[in-house]
Amino acid sequence: MNLDRLRKRVRHYIDQQQYQSALFWADKIASLSHEDPQDIYWLAQCLYLTAQYHRASHALRSRKLDKLYGACQYLAARCHYAAKEYQQALDILDMEEAASKKLLDKNLKEENGSREIVKDWEMSPASINSSICLLRGKIYDAMDNRPLATSSYKEALKLDVYCFEAFDLLTSHHMLTAQEEKDFLDSLPLSQQCTEEEVELLHFLFENKLKKYNKPSEMVVPDIVNGLQDNLDVVVSLAERHYYNCDFKMCYSLTSMVMVKDPFHANCLPVHIGTLVELSKANELFYLSHKLVDLYPSNPVSWFAVGCYYLMVGHKNEHARRYLSKATTLERTYGPAWIAYGHSFAVESEHDQAMAAYFTAAQLMKGCHLPMLYIGLEYGLTNNPKLAEHFFSQALSIAPEDPFVIHEVAVVAFQNGDYKTSEKLFLDAMEKIKAIGNEVTVDKWEPLLNNLGHVCRKLKKYEQALEYHRQALVLIPQNASTYSAIGYVHSLKGDFESAIDYFHTALGLKRDDTFSVTMLGHCIEMYISDSDAYIGTDIKDKVRKTLNTPALMKMLNTSADGNESRAQPVEEVNVCIETPSFNADKQTDAFQRFLLECDMHESDMMLETSMSDTST
Amino acid sequence: MAATRCSDFGDLVQIKKQLISIIAQCKERGLVHSVKWASELAFSLDPLPLNEIPPPPELTEEDAQDLDALCLAKSYFDLKEYDRAAYFLRGCRSQKAYFLYMYSRYLSGEKKKDDETVDSLGPLEKGQVRNEALRELRVELSKKHSAGELDGFALYLYGVVLRKLDLLKEAVEIFVAATHALPLHWGSWLELCNLITNIEMLKSLSLPDCWVRDFFMAHMYTELQMIKEALQKYQSLMEAGFAKSSYIISQIAVAYHNIRDIDQALYLFNELREQDPFRIENMDTFSNLLYVRSMKPELSYLAHNLVEIDKYRVETCCVIGNYYSLRSQHEKAALYFQRALKLNPRCLGAWTLMGHEYMEMKNTSAAIQAYRHAIEVNKRDYRAWYGLGQTYEILKMPFYSLYYYRKAHQLRPNDSRMLVALGECYEKLSQQLEAKKCYWRAYSVGDVERMALLKLAKLHEQLNESDDAAQCYIIYIQDIFSCGEQLEHAEVSTALRYLGQYYFKNKLYDEASLCAQRCCDYNDAREEGKALLRQISAVREQGEPSSTDLSLPCVFNPLSNNTTPVRRVSPLDLSSVTP
Repeated sequence: MNLDRLRKRVRHYIDQQQYQSALFWADKIASLSHEDPQDIYWLAQCLYLTAQYHRASHALRSRKLDKLYGACQYLAARCHYAAKEYQQALDILDMEEAASKKLLDKNLKEENGSREIVKDWEMSPASINSSICLLRGKIYDAMDNRPLATSSYKEALKLDVYCFEAFDLLTSHHMLTAQEEKDFLDSLPLSQQCTEEEVELLHFLFENKLKKYNKPSEMVVPDIVNGLQDNLDVVVSLAERHYYNCDFKMCYSLTSMVMVKDPFHANCLPVHIGTLVELSKANELFYLSHKLVDLYPSNPVSWFAVGCYYLMVGHKNEHARRYLSKATTLERTYGPAWIAYGHSFAVESEHDQAMAAYFTAAQLMKGCHLPMLYIGLEYGLTNNPKLAEHFFSQALSIAPEDPFVIHEVAVVAFQNGDYKTSEKLFLDAMEKIKAIGNEVTVDKWEPLLNNLGHVCRKLKKYEQALEYHRQALVLIPQNASTYSAIGYVHSLKGDFESAIDYFHTALGLKRDDTFSVTMLGHCIEMYISDSDAYIGTDIKDKVRKTLNTPALMKMLNTSADGNESRAQPVEEVNVCIETPSFNADKQTDAFQRFLLECDMHESDMMLETSMSDTST
Repeated sequence: MAATRCSDFGDLVQIKKQLISIIAQCKERGLVHSVKWASELAFSLDPLPLNEIPPPPELTEEDAQDLDALCLAKSYFDLKEYDRAAYFLRGCRSQKAYFLYMYSRYLSGEKKKDDETVDSLGPLEKGQVRNEALRELRVELSKKHSAGELDGFALYLYGVVLRKLDLLKEAVEIFVAATHALPLHWGSWLELCNLITNIEMLKSLSLPDCWVRDFFMAHMYTELQMIKEALQKYQSLMEAGFAKSSYIISQIAVAYHNIRDIDQALYLFNELREQDPFRIENMDTFSNLLYVRSMKPELSYLAHNLVEIDKYRVETCCVIGNYYSLRSQHEKAALYFQRALKLNPRCLGAWTLMGHEYMEMKNTSAAIQAYRHAIEVNKRDYRAWYGLGQTYEILKMPFYSLYYYRKAHQLRPNDSRMLVALGECYEKLSQQLEAKKCYWRAYSVGDVERMALLKLAKLHEQLNESDDAAQCYIIYIQDIFSCGEQLEHAEVSTALRYLGQYYFKNKLYDEASLCAQRCCDYNDAREEGKALLRQISAVREQGEPSSTDLSLPCVFNPLSNNTTPVRRVSPLDLSSVTP
């Protein structure tokens, strides 16, 4: 009987995904060939594919094949992994480690010599080993042993540089910091395993997946991979870059293009959701998340989308939390959901609970600075600048060039009254942003400009302060707090007229702003008291002397000499007694307000940064 | 556009040609108001012979490509389906299509904003709803602008967007650039007009040297209340060949209205209505004049006439509002002003007038809001500033009202009403010196209401500066008598009464008796006059030789049984008169 024909048929059925037929024939072949290990392997494979994990494992292990063949060992472990029996899976993999490795090697060599069986199995030992490492990593991951998982993934990738899954798991779960990622990528033995052209291709593709958000940057597509510009993965990565550079419009146009070509592109979804949130396109997000939940109810991203929707529409934090926690139960390691969960508390000023969520995220995403940043923010909001500083510095150590973090550190310095440092840091952040474009045009950075304005005011550089506030106004026009800040600077400069103007504008936009109201009152008093009674040159005595009315002529003529005695109001009555007390008022006012404003800006910033993780 | 730069008006044919071409260009872009302005001007010039009529501009390759999309989009645009128009234009590359694309997006945002406000809130809440498209437009336009890709029309739109976002400094720059790129587009000039707050600013701008500039300057002078210069400019424009232009006539009429030369203004408006009987623009100004003159039948005729033409026009509503206000039906008046604002929330006159109506109805908070809106629309509206001052005076916030009066005064430094108001405020803040200065200044610049001197006199009286008080009363009386007619509120009697007492005290009995006699002409002062006369005669009888007697007051004491109460009354009287 020609078993090869039947074996081919089995493979054919597997390709056709007719697993039952494949299983039936594989079983028969195994018996016919008197339990040839390869046929048993295929039988187990078929059992695995029909989700009969324990049978598959038993088929292999009862014949001790898992100790002889790497492929069988891998499959057996994989069966247990699929059945969520992680410890057993690990045992199978570890067993090999100690005793059977040599045996296996020997065995393989022997068999290599005698029969050409290994060739038939169509697997190189390197790729099997890499698969085993990857599986081990996944098992460790499932068992919450992140460091071992990381090293396993790394090993898998070193054995087989094409093993994208390992790479993806490493990057998408933020196991490494940006620097580590880069070092690791450079240390990969690319040149040994692939051709020169492929080296470039791999390098480009992997680099694309690396962290992009820790500092703004731009993407260059090398010539050699010219055809890839339109590859959706590359487009998504470009969109991500735009996202981190806060160019949401551009990002949205790219992601929506991807979504048209491939409606549920897995990598694109998080970015797309993030952009929808940023641009507050509630309706679209609603529709998208509905479709996602219908189609992929077991994918955390669907529930994450729902959670984001509720978070965005406001006043629905309870719902948001419910769905976000659903996402995290589906996949505990889904970091973005944890961060969003934290945000849902943060917007309600539930600082402790928010921090708890952020801490979980921080544990899950070791290489990501965002949880640290948020924890720092929460500490800052709960009046704990020391701890805030601590966490910011941790965030900085992970992402030393992220302008968001630098900005927050500067805010802390400001609150501590260290204006010089604060100014330096703000300028630093500004520099980082300017590195991508020649000018700051993204309205995300309005608080930065305003804060720079505040610092300059504190340092008595009023002109600069005004300039910064003006720039902020260009980014976000008609902002009441910017207007009142400008008014305040003007009042400190003693230019009460402009100050009054700006306070008026501020109050026009926000009627119950107490700071503006009090300042306006003060300014008006000051303004009135130190300006002339009227405008124009004095023309008093011109009219005086033309006194001639026939009716009363006589009477007036007699008294005309009294005219000159009229007192000339020469003295300017300057009411400057008020000034000192007023200044003191101003100071305290300003101080209180300043605190308030810092808070406000921080929370602004927080909300802003909050979404930048949705696509991480 | 190089051909458009000619500053003299010698070549009217050339100007007419330019007008014809700009009309076509604006029409293609849906800039209806600029089309109207240019057409009105072109209409006032002689028609061109056939061979002089300029050919339509040549199309570029891009224009040809976009032609169909543009045509389709323009039709949607004209039907006010702006989003739809923008959608079909999104891929076009020609300048014309790009402008229409951005302009449709802008108008779509504006339309949504207006719809929103009409749906949900009263007109007073107008400011709360914003055009959401503006920010995006600004970002896109600023990118294009820094790349230098905007033409004159697009620059204009960019400027409008900036102005809407309150980025005024930037907006001015852009509008200046727009006028340089396309001097014939009146829209840019008009926008610039609204942004220039004073003459120094005007002088600091470098504007293109083109005949349109003269129109702009004339308009600007009118706005800046420099009426003499404005009239001069318009005169020269009329001499240059635009004599038939209804635009110029209306502008001159408005200028006369601004300097309160009511007769001239009325005459011009009547002429305007003869020339252009269905004109609705500027008729609200006309109605203001009729209102000031209390010409009820004329106002009623105008109102009915305008209703016949188009009752849903801002100007019509304002005229009707004025009409009701003149008939003291303030609720109805406010209703019509509200309707005007619903039709166009950026209508300046209606906001101010509505503020006045609310003042009449004693609804101060609504009045403040209305005035504030007026100021938001146009910072140079002195009536709104003045109204704010009045409102805060009622609310007993003298510092605020002082500030607002001062603003109004800055805009019209030679208007006595502001000065008197300023004086009153200073008086309330017990800064008498400033108050005196203001009153005197008010008198010096020509007091319309003739109240300044009286107030000054009373102030002096309060401060026991009797010489100055007397002096002021004298001038006051002179003033009143010299103007011939008897003013209703004139307080000549108060003045005479005080003068009588003053002379009496200074022993100038002739003058005192003269005053006392005159006092008897007035009902409210008759008794006092008589009493004074009696006193004088008594003193004369007994004290001829001892006119320098130091005991004069003592001598009066027994006699003053009936005079003291009077004298006690007089300060009370005064205080009741001071508002």
